[in-house]
Amino acid sequence: MAKPKVCDDWLAGCAGCEMSLLDIDERILQLVDLVDLRSTPITDLKVPDESGVDVGILTGAINNTYNEEVAHTMRKRAKILVALGDCAVFGGVVAMRNFFKLEDALKRAYVDTESTEPGSKVPSDPELARPTVVKAVGEVVKVDVNVPGCPPDADVIFYVLSELAQGRMPELKGELLHWH
Amino acid sequence: MVNLKIDGQEISAPEGTTVLRAAEAAGIAIPKLCDHKELTPYGGCRLCLVEVEGARTLQPSCTLPVSDKMVVWTNTPQVREARRFVLSLIFSERNHFCMYCPVSGGDCELQNAAYAEGMTHWPLQPNWQPYPVDASHKDFVLDNNRCILCRRCIRACGELVGNFTLGVEERGARTMVIADLGVPLGESTCIACGTCIQVCPTGALIDRAGAYRGREKDSQKTASICAGCSIGCGVVLITRDNNLLRIEGDWDAPVNQGLLCELGRFRPLDDPGQRILTPLVRKDGALKAATWEEAIGVTAAKLQPLAGKNGSGMAAIASPRLTAETLCAFSELFATKLGSAQLATTDDPAPAPVPSTGTLADLHQADCVVVAGADLVANHQVAGFFIKRAVPKGTRLIVIDAGESQMKALADCAITPNKGGEPSAIAGIVAALKNQAVDVLAAHSGAPADALAKAASMLAAAKTPVIVAGPHKHLAGALSELADTVAAKIVSVYGKANTRAALAYKIDGAFDPKGKQAVFVALGDEKPTQKLIQQVEHVPFVVVQAAYTSQLTAVADVVFPVETWAEQEGHFVNVEGAVQRVQRGLIPPDEVWSSARVLHVLAQKMGYELTADWQRSL
Repeated sequence: MAKPKVCDDWLAGCAGCEMSLLDIDERILQLVDLVDLRSTPITDLKVPDESGVDVGILTGAINNTYNEEVAHTMRKRAKILVALGDCAVFGGVVAMRNFFKLEDALKRAYVDTESTEPGSKVPSDPELARPTVVKAVGEVVKVDVNVPGCPPDADVIFYVLSELAQGRMPELKGELLHWH
Repeated sequence: MVNLKIDGQEISAPEGTTVLRAAEAAGIAIPKLCDHKELTPYGGCRLCLVEVEGARTLQPSCTLPVSDKMVVWTNTPQVREARRFVLSLIFSERNHFCMYCPVSGGDCELQNAAYAEGMTHWPLQPNWQPYPVDASHKDFVLDNNRCILCRRCIRACGELVGNFTLGVEERGARTMVIADLGVPLGESTCIACGTCIQVCPTGALIDRAGAYRGREKDSQKTASICAGCSIGCGVVLITRDNNLLRIEGDWDAPVNQGLLCELGRFRPLDDPGQRILTPLVRKDGALKAATWEEAIGVTAAKLQPLAGKNGSGMAAIASPRLTAETLCAFSELFATKLGSAQLATTDDPAPAPVPSTGTLADLHQADCVVVAGADLVANHQVAGFFIKRAVPKGTRLIVIDAGESQMKALADCAITPNKGGEPSAIAGIVAALKNQAVDVLAAHSGAPADALAKAASMLAAAKTPVIVAGPHKHLAGALSELADTVAAKIVSVYGKANTRAALAYKIDGAFDPKGKQAVFVALGDEKPTQKLIQQVEHVPFVVVQAAYTSQLTAVADVVFPVETWAEQEGHFVNVEGAVQRVQRGLIPPDEVWSSARVLHVLAQKMGYELTADWQRSL
């Protein structure tokens, strides 16, 4: 059997989920043996193969139009889409922004921040992605496997990835299911 | 008994039992959120829905009474589907973000319910509407974002404590838990008993001191007894890495049944000041760190020559927060061995209790309560809760107090005699009950005759009256006569956690160390009063055993570092005489001894052996 092709990308998040992935320590070698790792943010290949992949993993929430596009592409090309971490599953810490008006959040970030030079403006280049209401990945595209946790434990990540790598659907319950 | 079948299991339960309780008694767990075993069923959350054969729809098991030949299924696909739907709706209603909630990870009943259903996500997202957070209270925070409107807090506030501070405003999705008529909690009629926090199933009500300092699975629980007043409430000390995070009422404790007051739940978590970590001995006018051997030696050398000299010898005073074992050793060393005529507790004035004929549990059945000379809103608050919560259900409350008593605001009949006029007022009620003339006694007491007559008529109609008496022996005769007349039980309330034990060991004198050569203060973790400091200031030799530095330790010649209440092992004797075990929730620092050990070692140094059995005098 050919190794399953796996792609990964991150949206609006903190990379904590990726740090937790690294916490699986030497088991990462077992995973590498099991899968054909294609596009990730740290490989040369940045987008999933047009011909399709078996598993697509997304961490982070959907925060702007670019994130939406990444999610749609991943969904289109991956047979199984995994939302990894609380931001991808629920919106997470990123979604705290939804309690404020978008303009206020942008003004705070680009104009009012203490470290900002006076006279700074909110970027408005039409080529930039447009910020949106923060959404969970599941609000934008269909998600097959939700893996909550902030971040999910290394053991949870290893379980999910090793199950998927071996062609099984992971089922999170008991010790493996946590939302925090 | 009613016979029914739950999940194929034959069960019989008393009539009126709910399906939920009957299932629980048979070991079948049904998930629930708004239900709480100490509260009236409410049927608000719908998580406990079950399938009842023959019923048109799923039924809430928490409000459904058992009936004969009922067949109930608690775990069918339809039930599980409904549960997940109910949870989805609850999660979508407000903002339940586990990643920054202090109760996440085992302490949240909502989260645990979702885990039990294997929910990995919310099928419906919230609509990002922010809800108010009320952080105006000094001890806890109400975050409406995490509230599921189960109304446990509201029911606890009213049904268990009788305070009726919490309620709701608006309806439907706009419903909000509020204090009084919508004032900030910190400015409300809340008495900070914290029962609402203890029953909250989510992180909507969290205590300031313990929040974010450890999840339930990371902490230890130790059942012990509150060191506050003499009710002797069962507490659970929740600790992590030898830090006290939180104190909860022990639902299984027979005395308080889970309730605590502010003084038992929150105040022990206040910053107590600087801990004393080594013995201190005064050298060249200044207190210096010393070894235990040196400190014991200096004390023994000073105290031993004073043995038997009553007039000019020594006085000794102990905190009634110390264990019975300690107080017994204290009494034996200073009274029996050293012959000091003056043993006192820090209770000031020394309590002179009215003899009890009943127990606190009698308050649960009382249909009329007389409170004489005790303000149960200020002290012995849990006994006050038992009365406050019964008043709306029809229990009549008569308060007799010459002074200010906050109980009067709740009373059906408040009687305010002149100072010292209470016995006459009580005698007046007795006279009215016997259809004798009341006027002379009323005039003598300073209370209006019609108030005495009103109290008498309430008592005459009562079937299970109870008299709660404060520590005023001069009321004993009159109250005893009143009790005999209406067949009432007398429940006497007085003193602190172990005052009853102290009195049993004859530690009951007035403290006046003037003219004494030495004074021994077994203070434990108590805060010394200014009066005590002034009293001992000029005594030539002052020994203090204390947990924290204070103005008192500053004037001492020898200071022994001892355990705090949460570090003690031993027993407290509550106001009813119940001997209750105090367990160590925190491990004391290395050089700190138990108060009892200090007394035993000191006695040995002076050539005495303390052998008295602490249980015998009780």
